[in-house]
Amino acid sequence: MGVPMASITLNRVSAVRDRWSLSASGTFNEGVHLVSGEVGSGKSTLALMMAGLFPPSGGDIGKEGITTSMLSLPFPELHVTAISVAGECASWGVDPGEILDAIGLAGKKESSPLSMSRGELKRLHLACVLAKDYDLLLLDEPFSSLDCEEKVKLCKRIGQQSQGICVIFTHEQNILPRVTRIWEIVDGMLVDCGTPPDAFTHWHHVPPVITKLTALGARPDNISPDDFLEAVCRIQG
Amino acid sequence: MQDPRIRIAAATVLSLAAFMSLHGAAAVFLWWLVFTPRLQLAKRIKMVVSLILMIAFFSLVLELSGGGGLSYFIRMTVIVLIGMWLFSGQKSGEFLSIGVWLFGDRAGFELGMVAEMGMQSLASVTADLDRIRMAEKIKGMQWEVRSLVPAGLVLVHSALARAEDTAELLAVRGYQYGGTLCPTFFTRPGDIVAGMSAVCILIFALIPVSEFFILYR
Repeated sequence: MGVPMASITLNRVSAVRDRWSLSASGTFNEGVHLVSGEVGSGKSTLALMMAGLFPPSGGDIGKEGITTSMLSLPFPELHVTAISVAGECASWGVDPGEILDAIGLAGKKESSPLSMSRGELKRLHLACVLAKDYDLLLLDEPFSSLDCEEKVKLCKRIGQQSQGICVIFTHEQNILPRVTRIWEIVDGMLVDCGTPPDAFTHWHHVPPVITKLTALGARPDNISPDDFLEAVCRIQG
Repeated sequence: MQDPRIRIAAATVLSLAAFMSLHGAAAVFLWWLVFTPRLQLAKRIKMVVSLILMIAFFSLVLELSGGGGLSYFIRMTVIVLIGMWLFSGQKSGEFLSIGVWLFGDRAGFELGMVAEMGMQSLASVTADLDRIRMAEKIKGMQWEVRSLVPAGLVLVHSALARAEDTAELLAVRGYQYGGTLCPTFFTRPGDIVAGMSAVCILIFALIPVSEFFILYR
């Protein structure tokens, strides 16, 4: 008998705050999911609810085959619990030397995490989060504070996920990893757009580059820069 | 209570009355029951309980080392209740208005602004503490005594960084000394009644009640 596939099901989950509300239904199976939406649409609230850190106003969330989960919050300083970079790595249960060498911050071992630049701290935070495998990995705005090079590296790292559910909540439009399924929040409701490339036709937040490539008769297969390049190559023959 | 001038003056007077004598503390407690929305306390119940526990600890030490612990506990608990009422009723900008109303556009503005910044820092520290606890939960860490030291240092570091940002912002905007503000206050009849009652309680607290009873024995 094999290991059960991980899945998380949102059953009429809702969050209500003053005049703002969010409702979500759907099942996230194994693979990489993208949840897009405008700033303030409720992506972070949904991420917190899926992580079990924010109680929904209504509905329920069912989890199957999920024993380990992780939520990465949008601002890396929100995760800081130690007074040194080495201590911060240790608080994630990872080897500081290994992590800091990998991200080129070996010289900052004894520095305070809060004295680092936002970009450096984000790199440190993501390296610690992605050092382990989780059945459910929720990444809220993982691309914020990163330059293009780091965004590409992050996409590659996410693409290496061989198992589990990875949900990316972002309004990033240019550099994204290849995804299994696309979702978006429109008018306070989570909408399942489907799998790429078919999802592009009814995806409100479709990146402009996809619209342009589709108009030129070269619809990309997915949303990563490699897919865009492959589509451009098709135009050029 | 709508008028912040009466609210702050009443809180000061009542705190003094409660600290000065046990019968004063009892009268202040009655005032608290009559004039404050006590249910608001439920929102800050964790803070109230932890403060009362801290007072209980010091009261016990005082009682064991020379007596007077029970009286200290009662008086300080009543002061905490008054403090929580004042804190929960506080609105942004009130200290600035009171500062200007009391001492004018220069020194008053400065004092009011410092008080406003203090209140803002307090709110930020509370939010930071909640954020650290959430981060520890995400990391699977247990909230324990030894995690208090790094948490405290992170809180201090964040507060200092915010203060530096605020100072830079004021300098960039050309702030030098004082400012212009026309404070407006709304006073309800109930505010005046509560304020006058607070003054009466202070006078009552000053009366040496025990000697008064001895006189009639």
